[in-house]
Amino acid sequence: MISQWPSWIWMIALPIVTSPFIYLLGRLFQRARDASELKQRLQGRAQRKPWRANPVRWVSLAVMLASCVPFVAAWRELADGASLQFTVGIVALKFDGISLLLSAAVLVLGVLVSIFSGPYIGHESGQEKYHALLNAMIGAMLGLGCAADLFNLWVWFETAAIASYMLVAYHSDRAASLEAGMKYLVQNSVGSMLVLIGIGLVFSQTGTLNLAQLRTAIAAGTGSRPLLLASGALFCVGFGVKIAMVPMHTWLPDAHSQAPSGISAMLSGVVIETGLVALLRALSVLADLSSAWGAILLAFGAVNMIVGNLLALRQTQVKRLLAFSSLTHVGYMLLGLGFAVSFGQLEGAQGGVFHLLTHAAMKGLAFLAAGSLLFALRVARGDSGPLEAADLAGAARRYPVTALALTVALLGLGGLPPLGGFMSKWQIFASGVRTGSPVAIALVVFAVLNSLLSLAYYAPLVSMMYRKAPSDVVTSGAAIPTGMTVPLVLLVLVVVALGVWPALANGLTVPAGQVVLSIFSRQGGM
Amino acid sequence: MSNDAWTIAMAAVLGLVAIGIYGMLIVRNLIKVVVALQIFAKGTILVMVAAGGISGKPAVGQSLAITVIVADTVVTVMALALAIQVRRWCGTLDTRVISRLRR
Repeated sequence: MISQWPSWIWMIALPIVTSPFIYLLGRLFQRARDASELKQRLQGRAQRKPWRANPVRWVSLAVMLASCVPFVAAWRELADGASLQFTVGIVALKFDGISLLLSAAVLVLGVLVSIFSGPYIGHESGQEKYHALLNAMIGAMLGLGCAADLFNLWVWFETAAIASYMLVAYHSDRAASLEAGMKYLVQNSVGSMLVLIGIGLVFSQTGTLNLAQLRTAIAAGTGSRPLLLASGALFCVGFGVKIAMVPMHTWLPDAHSQAPSGISAMLSGVVIETGLVALLRALSVLADLSSAWGAILLAFGAVNMIVGNLLALRQTQVKRLLAFSSLTHVGYMLLGLGFAVSFGQLEGAQGGVFHLLTHAAMKGLAFLAAGSLLFALRVARGDSGPLEAADLAGAARRYPVTALALTVALLGLGGLPPLGGFMSKWQIFASGVRTGSPVAIALVVFAVLNSLLSLAYYAPLVSMMYRKAPSDVVTSGAAIPTGMTVPLVLLVLVVVALGVWPALANGLTVPAGQVVLSIFSRQGGM
Repeated sequence: MSNDAWTIAMAAVLGLVAIGIYGMLIVRNLIKVVVALQIFAKGTILVMVAAGGISGKPAVGQSLAITVIVADTVVTVMALALAIQVRRWCGTLDTRVISRLRR
């Protein structure tokens, strides 16, 4: 039976299936090393040179690279507008344009974070848990992109969330990290249960969970309209917690700033975006019920942009500032997708998913660069404190590459022209203007002003790194390992390339945009 | 499943969800927060079973409910594990004290 599985299923299966073995391997190695060290000490011999680093990081990286192979194969197989189907019992998986885009973002960022995390947590004893959970989380997110039934979507989501709860509270001996983990767990569980009630209501009215069947059943007028609308509202609120739509965002700054830096990059770069994909898929079954879904996305987008910006302006910790700026960027994505859903703008859908891609690269880069500086200035010296903006003073002299990477990320996030962030924002704004609706144009003006406002907190960081004399913290900082610099350089290249040749991403954004538009195109009037 | 049973089940769900949310909002002890979360989760499991009943597919509804129970148990175990760590490193389970410790 396994031999009949299409190759792209292995993309999802590989990281999940190997994750317990990664843990086991790392654990056994750790025990062997501890035993040998103890023996040396007991025999009174001088410590010989320490063992090599735990190989678990290389195994985890190899697994992730291996799952890129079926991904590339599936990309080749995917013709225009087509999708690859796979069904076991009533569980249906489908690989379409959205899955393709999400998998690309998850795999690329996953590989880079895996490289980065090797040296970042290499000196800690629990690293096998970290790598095993990272792989499980990546596998679950890949599965979520491919889910073709509503309950399946929830199961993948919950799996990814469970792995991420443990990763956020990875430093389980720090009060701040425990508090963040607990907050994240409780709020997200409430969100996922609200989604579940919504799924239950949809199921009770239609008797099916398959997205395509649900779509036709609801278009044909099956079920009670108030209950289905209520489930739509539950989806918005429940997934809204995970996407950090504004009144439900209070967990995000703590979780994203307290997690290990590699995990912050994953959480901010792809985890909240998978929530967005899940929300789109779930709402799409109710598309024929009401025309208000697009307006809801636009409204949340506008609120997210302004609240994210205003809160980020007041932050003094670098990672907290970046976490708040994620709120703003979710707002831009919601705006693009909202234009697509309410006005049928293909450009808007493409812009929204393109911003998803560029944001994954830019925010991943920003968190990894901030993470390397945090490592050099704090972690390597045994200090578990946060990275303050003031610590960055003069960092460009001591850490030129890292400072350049952080600058590229920040200016990209702010939307300056030769970088990826400008192109994706431009596409969203252009699509809004093209709708011709006064509300849409007002929203675009609002978004442009927000984009300018965001420079008010990105620019001081850049000026701090380049124009100030090095602070004591920086001059006495440790060296940054090469393994942490390599992912930064690669991501800088991605951000710059997407800004100079935005057409490079067309192979991903065009199919995804078409899928977004087609799942929301209204079939019957109601 | 009759419509009356569905109505009663939905009323019970609303009650459980309301108790859960109310509990999470007012209690200050982490263990009690987890208990409130559990009460909320029981409401969602009831939705699944009732939905299977009213839509004429009780087997599907029950298998969904079991999946939810599994996921919910894992979340609870992790929440309790975190609570143990909180007690060990902060010396208290009171959420007010914990958020003060951070600063």
